[in-house]
Amino acid sequence: MAHTGRSTARGLERVPRRMPVRVPADEAASAAARKVKRRERIRYKFFTLGLGLDMPMLFLILVLLAVGLVMLFSASYAYAYYYFGNSYHFVMRQGMFAIAGVVLMLLISTVDYHQLHKFNLLIFGISVVLLVMVLAFKGTAIAPVKGGANRWIDIGVEFQPSEIAKFALILMFAHLISLYGSKMNTFRYGFLPFAGILAIIAGLVILEKHVSATLIICLIAFLLMFIGGTKMRYFVVIGTIGGVALVCVLLFSDKFAYALERIQGWLDPFNPPEGVDTWQTVQSLYAIGSGQLLGVGIGQSRQKYLYLPEPQNDFIFAIICEELGFIGALIVIILFALFIWRGVYISLHARDRFGTMLGLGITFQFGIQAIFNICVVTNTFPNTGISLPFFSYGGTALIMLLAEMGVLLSISRHSNIEKT
Amino acid sequence: MAGSNNSKMWRKTVVITGILIFLGFGVVTGNLIRWQLVRGEELKTKAIDQSLTSTALTPMRGTIYDATGTKVLAQSASVWTVALEPNYIDTEKGDDVKIAKGLSEILGMDYETVLKKAQQNSYFTYVKRKVETDVRDQILAMIDEQKISRGIILMEDYKRYYPYGTTASTVLGFTGTDNQGLAGIETQYDDVLSGTEGRLVSAKNAIGTDMPFQYDQYIEAADGYDLVLTIDETVQSIVEKHLEAGLEACGALEGGTAVVMDVNTGAIRALSTKGDYDPNDPFTISEEVEAAIPEKVEEQLKEAQEKEQQELNKLQLDIDTAETEEEREAAKQALADYDRLTSEDLAELRETLTDDAYAAAQNKQWRNKAVSDTYYPGSVFKMVTGSMALESGVATEESVYTCTGEWNFDDPSIEPINCWYHPGHGTETLVDGICNSCNPYMIWLGQKLGRERFFSFFDAFGFTKPTGIDLPGEADSLYYDVDGLNVVELATESFGQNFSITPIQMITAICAVANGGYLVQPHIVDRMLDSDGNIVQTADTSYKRQVISEDVSARMTKILQRNATSESGKNGYVAGYRIAGKTGTSEKMNEYNLHPERGMQYIVSYGGYAPADDPQYALLVFYDEPQIGNPSGGSQAGPIFAAIMEEILPYLGVDPQYTESEYENLADKAPNVIGRTIGEAKQQLEEAGFDWTIVDYSGESADDQLVVTQVPSPGAAIPKQGTVALYTAEPKEEDYVEVPNFIGYGLETCQYLANVADVQVVVTGDGSSGYAQSQDTEAGTRVKRGSVIKISFVSSGGVESVTGDNE
Repeated sequence: MAHTGRSTARGLERVPRRMPVRVPADEAASAAARKVKRRERIRYKFFTLGLGLDMPMLFLILVLLAVGLVMLFSASYAYAYYYFGNSYHFVMRQGMFAIAGVVLMLLISTVDYHQLHKFNLLIFGISVVLLVMVLAFKGTAIAPVKGGANRWIDIGVEFQPSEIAKFALILMFAHLISLYGSKMNTFRYGFLPFAGILAIIAGLVILEKHVSATLIICLIAFLLMFIGGTKMRYFVVIGTIGGVALVCVLLFSDKFAYALERIQGWLDPFNPPEGVDTWQTVQSLYAIGSGQLLGVGIGQSRQKYLYLPEPQNDFIFAIICEELGFIGALIVIILFALFIWRGVYISLHARDRFGTMLGLGITFQFGIQAIFNICVVTNTFPNTGISLPFFSYGGTALIMLLAEMGVLLSISRHSNIEKT
Repeated sequence: MAGSNNSKMWRKTVVITGILIFLGFGVVTGNLIRWQLVRGEELKTKAIDQSLTSTALTPMRGTIYDATGTKVLAQSASVWTVALEPNYIDTEKGDDVKIAKGLSEILGMDYETVLKKAQQNSYFTYVKRKVETDVRDQILAMIDEQKISRGIILMEDYKRYYPYGTTASTVLGFTGTDNQGLAGIETQYDDVLSGTEGRLVSAKNAIGTDMPFQYDQYIEAADGYDLVLTIDETVQSIVEKHLEAGLEACGALEGGTAVVMDVNTGAIRALSTKGDYDPNDPFTISEEVEAAIPEKVEEQLKEAQEKEQQELNKLQLDIDTAETEEEREAAKQALADYDRLTSEDLAELRETLTDDAYAAAQNKQWRNKAVSDTYYPGSVFKMVTGSMALESGVATEESVYTCTGEWNFDDPSIEPINCWYHPGHGTETLVDGICNSCNPYMIWLGQKLGRERFFSFFDAFGFTKPTGIDLPGEADSLYYDVDGLNVVELATESFGQNFSITPIQMITAICAVANGGYLVQPHIVDRMLDSDGNIVQTADTSYKRQVISEDVSARMTKILQRNATSESGKNGYVAGYRIAGKTGTSEKMNEYNLHPERGMQYIVSYGGYAPADDPQYALLVFYDEPQIGNPSGGSQAGPIFAAIMEEILPYLGVDPQYTESEYENLADKAPNVIGRTIGEAKQQLEEAGFDWTIVDYSGESADDQLVVTQVPSPGAAIPKQGTVALYTAEPKEEDYVEVPNFIGYGLETCQYLANVADVQVVVTGDGSSGYAQSQDTEAGTRVKRGSVIKISFVSSGGVESVTGDNE
């Protein structure tokens, strides 16, 4: 590849490192020709599977997955033993899903992500239908209520439609942003369609009373629109309206006192007001605190002995903190930071705006989710249900995650970054 | 891709990524530092604390033995507390129903109640406390049979048993549900008896099963110490038997109390308060008391209603007598506003009053009158005043004073104090004064002593401070300080009125009079033993001070002995035992002032000791508010005193020494002549100094017939020189005679009645001038000809009562 050498030799030609290589006009035609050529389907074989893949990203994914499995085993075995009579209950399932997920990830990575343009509407439609089903069949076998929450669907496999909806939204936004290009700074193109799509998806998710997912969806949508070129002032307007509306709803609904109590319980979880249950947060903090600098050692957690409810799910990070200490937790945080950095790097070097927006969306989705999860576990945020990607137990969620990683890797194959 | 667009996009992306990574992870890292590095230690401690369960190991409460060290007065035994963990009951398996069914059957409880407990949302609830071990075994079998996995907890606990029931109950006290002492010794020695709780500290997971950690730490429970009391169960039982009989005889409303004390050591050999309770079931009140409650409550209710009616009448009167229209309106309004008692109010009031009555009855039966009640000691105190006079030398036995029936003060404005014997005792010595229980004589002694000397002796005899006996709830005495002892107070205190002391203070002072003047420390626990039987601590038998000289003590004993054998105190006389004693009848002046409508109530008592030549044991018998007969310490407490002394002294190892006259009246034991020929029997009886009579149906009184049976039977009591009836065949119907009624008659009449009825009598008590108070075989009973009936005599004379000028 012609430009590869130039970017590495940045000192010679004084090309700003972050600037995409500008192709001279006369070369444009040949580049377009190459593009056409590159778009031809490449047939991968097993030994060529790594061809063009971003190896640092693949390495990060596999490391996170491996650490996640080990910690899931450690965190879940007491719970699994007491409730299922089998310490390996969770790790066996998760391990199988992980293997299947990695295979799926590599398969998807061989597919040209531009194919997704075609599936854009289909995926969006499916996710809307699923979200509606969750609400429509609430409480039935199809949409079971688990732990008081109505956000699952069970059609042979069990999963949260909001996970698919996140991806559908990212895909739709990436598609539209790449389609509208410079028209993004207009209200008609750069704001209205996006706001409409967001309203549909976020509206359906908030009806599930799934606040954390709604927040993440809104945040991703905002980030993509902002990067995509939507004018800042629309956000200011809509943000203000939304904020005022939220405050009004809170103030004039009977939930206001409850919300205040929840906040009080969040600010001081050790002395919560009557009726606010901060058991999980308190146990999480006990676990985190017990870890101190170096941790109690892997497998040695005390809190996982049924003190911390469902330690294999949303609060697995607390067990990591307890067993691996501050150092171990920091390493996991750094792994996630590297993951975000690499994902953003891949996206920015994507061949086209569709790839960039799609990659950023996926990266941000899991990055934000990881940050939110750790915030909840450390009581930085009030307790809400967000799982930790790569770590928390959940087969279909893991499959979804790895499939999206496949898309990200596919983008990396077609990007113009230095390949190792 | 437009360049400007792209570079803008780059910038935005990089900024957002930076914010995400640095802000998001920065905040998180900051919080991790806070929780793990700054507050790590604290949170770790809390986490460990919550997972370490500390199980209390209950120690066994110490046993209480009587003075013999072998009889168990109080003992703990294992029992079980049944509880449920409703949240861990497998309701899907139907365990809740099985548990409810099984437990309700075994524990005899209501099925619905247990089921409700099993289904409630909680982690722990009691079902029944203190069930016996065999019930626990039944429950375990039920759990096994029904395959109940979880939910029933059986916790070991202890229950207190008092094998002798009511015996010494007010001394022993009882324990509550948590094995804490609630009265008596159980409270006083609660710390010692309860021992030290042990702990089992172990790591548990959140549902309470063991964790795979080695945190177990076991601190053994230290069982409580055993106590050996100075109380002897035999003596205690004898005392209680007679005290109870006396209580029935005199019908004392507020019960009675008796204390036996070793005069030299202060050891309490017996201490009883009647009516007491069964410490195995301390909350149950006696049926009579319980039966009387409703009536009492209704009476109080009626009073409340009457009071209401009176108030209403008054309001009505206000309306009628109102002078202006406004006043009338106001009065009408007041009447309308009056909060009348509704039927609900009455029901509520009835319930409250009933509860109060029950609580009052319980408190009354738990009360140890000997230490918690105070009373005017009355004439028993005269031995103290006499001792004071002899010790200080203001008088000797021969000091003479003339009693005119009243004491006149120098100041004529003060009303004179009467002697209980209004004609006056005439000229008498100190010995006569005490034996006559003469009030003016005592006043005379008191005035001669003067208030300083009187008070210093009063203080030295221990009347100003609690004795410090090791029992809870000792009352403080109430008396005039030296400055308050004006002429009238000094006069009344001299004969035992106008100051309140506890019976235990009185008997301690009696001991000082008896033992050579030493004020001993009364105590009830002799020694403490650890669980291996080693002595941990023994009672301190020290004395506090010497109050009077041994010489005065001996002289006073002589006077009291004379009093007990001949004069006002002779109902306390016991043949062979050289009793020294003094009666007392005192007015409950305070009670009278509070409730004059009840009339004057009395406390009758008899205090004394024996044997006079070497005093060993003191006894104080005391009845509060006797209702039957003339209240008199001599006739109501005296015979009880005598009966107790007669029975306990031989047991306590005090041998009788009879005077000649006593010996003559003494009952002897009938020799055994059954199986011998009439001739042999005649000879044997003659040698032993008995007469005989032969009941023979064959008509031929041949000396070679065999004696088939004899009356009285071998070993039974028989008067000296009494007659033994010898039967040559089994007695027939015509050989039975009816026992006559002796009660109320003098000795001669009794002997005449006995002759007529063909029975024999032995006499106890004051046979020379008294009258029969009781007989051991009831009148009308058919007994064999020649049977011996034991008659108790009480003195009719010398019964003093008190009249005093007590303001």
